[in-house]
Amino acid sequence: MSSTSFERRRRRAGLLFVAPAAIVLLAILAYPIVESFILSTQSVRLVAGGVTKEWNSFANYIRLAGDETFRRAVVNTMIFSFGEVALVVSIGLAVALLLNHPLGRWGFFRIMLVVPWAIAPVANAVLWKWILNSNYGILNGLLKSLGLIEYYQVWLARPWSAFGFLLLIDVWKSVPFIALLLLAGLQRVPQSLYKAAYMDGAGRWQAFRHVTLPTMRSALAIAVVLQTIWSLRVFEIIFVLTRGGPADATVLMNFLAYRVTFNFLDIGYGAAIANIIFALTFLLAITYVWLMQPRKRRISS
Amino acid sequence: MSFASARSRDRGFRVLVVVGLILFVVWSAAPILWLIVSSLMQQQALIVQPPDFSLGNFTLENFTEVIVSAAALGRGILNSFIVALFSTAVALVIGAPAAYALARLAVPRANALAFLVLATQMLPGIAIAIPLFLVISRLGLIDNVLALGLVYLSFNLPIVIWILRGFFLAIPEGIEKAAAVDGAGVVGTFLHIVLPISIPPLGAAAVFAFVEAWNEFFFALILTRQDAQTVPLVIAQFAGQYQTLFGQMMAAAAISIAPVIALAIIFRNQIVRGFADGMMKG
Repeated sequence: MSSTSFERRRRRAGLLFVAPAAIVLLAILAYPIVESFILSTQSVRLVAGGVTKEWNSFANYIRLAGDETFRRAVVNTMIFSFGEVALVVSIGLAVALLLNHPLGRWGFFRIMLVVPWAIAPVANAVLWKWILNSNYGILNGLLKSLGLIEYYQVWLARPWSAFGFLLLIDVWKSVPFIALLLLAGLQRVPQSLYKAAYMDGAGRWQAFRHVTLPTMRSALAIAVVLQTIWSLRVFEIIFVLTRGGPADATVLMNFLAYRVTFNFLDIGYGAAIANIIFALTFLLAITYVWLMQPRKRRISS
Repeated sequence: MSFASARSRDRGFRVLVVVGLILFVVWSAAPILWLIVSSLMQQQALIVQPPDFSLGNFTLENFTEVIVSAAALGRGILNSFIVALFSTAVALVIGAPAAYALARLAVPRANALAFLVLATQMLPGIAIAIPLFLVISRLGLIDNVLALGLVYLSFNLPIVIWILRGFFLAIPEGIEKAAAVDGAGVVGTFLHIVLPISIPPLGAAAVFAFVEAWNEFFFALILTRQDAQTVPLVIAQFAGQYQTLFGQMMAAAAISIAPVIALAIIFRNQIVRGFADGMMKG
């Protein structure tokens, strides 16, 4: 019976091994999630060093429906996420294809990929604040000397221009990781498939269309879902560059939840907005997990 | 199609790839290059248009100024090191056994648990920020380095568990069976046989966790005030206060990113393999 005691020992050890991590995650993540939901159903007031909470049914959520700023933030978030995912995944795929080509295997290119990834979002935002500076920024100087603009522009003062630059800055920061992910996917496409395609007389484009894209389908889907999740968390660039302005043009849901909670101290309402973001992320995370399952298991389930 | 035309088409494609690669390098490097160049230039040379790139205008003054005048930067770097090292080290110590158990030790519902762990990594910070802020202020631990470190631990644990689990799943079972036959217990097998062959993924996980903690901004903003401020917070404040001293602002930014950039470059291959693979394997 040594094998059963072997199994039993391993199961007991397993629980012991998992316990510390489970306790930490439950304490620091699970409790706040539950509490955040409870807060969102309360009217919370800060009074002289303490907090008073009072159940107000779902008034916070009802208030969301009529809140003009919230509606604005939802629309902004949708445009931002959609734009970011489309740009990041297509640029990321282009970069991955380039680096997968024999000419792109030089180690230097990998360095060019991991460096923007490692830069802190805040440092990135501060850097772009300087690039976009209206009086001395290099962008104005460059565009003027190329004759593309006549006068120096205050790039972050107009709604669409500010929004567009935030998008560009975040795309720049996000491309490397998605490119890495897709590169890993490309390297798993069996070479024999390409050989067979070329032997059948397929051109480069046809091989891409009929071999690369179909085998990359789940990697691309994973990239789309992950990038959508991350686009819902964008915070630093808004905080450093625009604080949501001009005229709330760059207020995304995440930033709104922060502003309502920590600037306006409207804690219950902030929690309600946060929970909407949580629910969206949760749905996306489920999609991600589903996509990660091997195809066979997915079909049978 | 003739051989010659196929060859010239091939050359055309190679030109396209080279152009693409050049564009990629310019796109990735230009902003960083400008950060480095402007951190090394005197203020007067930066604010003329176009900037005066003559050699005499390059200086290390911005760096010395910012190090001497801004005590906050030094403290921020120290705090960031403490928080990042603490959350990374503890995540490895309790994450590695958990990952091993989820991969190999017949924990009930191991797969579901592993996915749950992964899902926590996707949690938007704002969803837990409000209750955490309330609890931590009630405990009087706002502006406390360890409190921030504990919060970061909860983000780093899932990263570590997920990367290591992928690696442990791939270890041949025979190794553990042989150890059991030799009389080694589960703990002994893990410590003396599994861990020593896991140094590369442990390194990848550590680099990842460290970079995440070093760069984190949102929770640092909410949970610190002054004494426990980490480097990203200091940099954001700089950008507000010193916003006309462009060279110094860039020097501060350059100092703040140097450690993680160095790690990323040194461990680039582990990063590429460890994480990108881990995000796609079930």
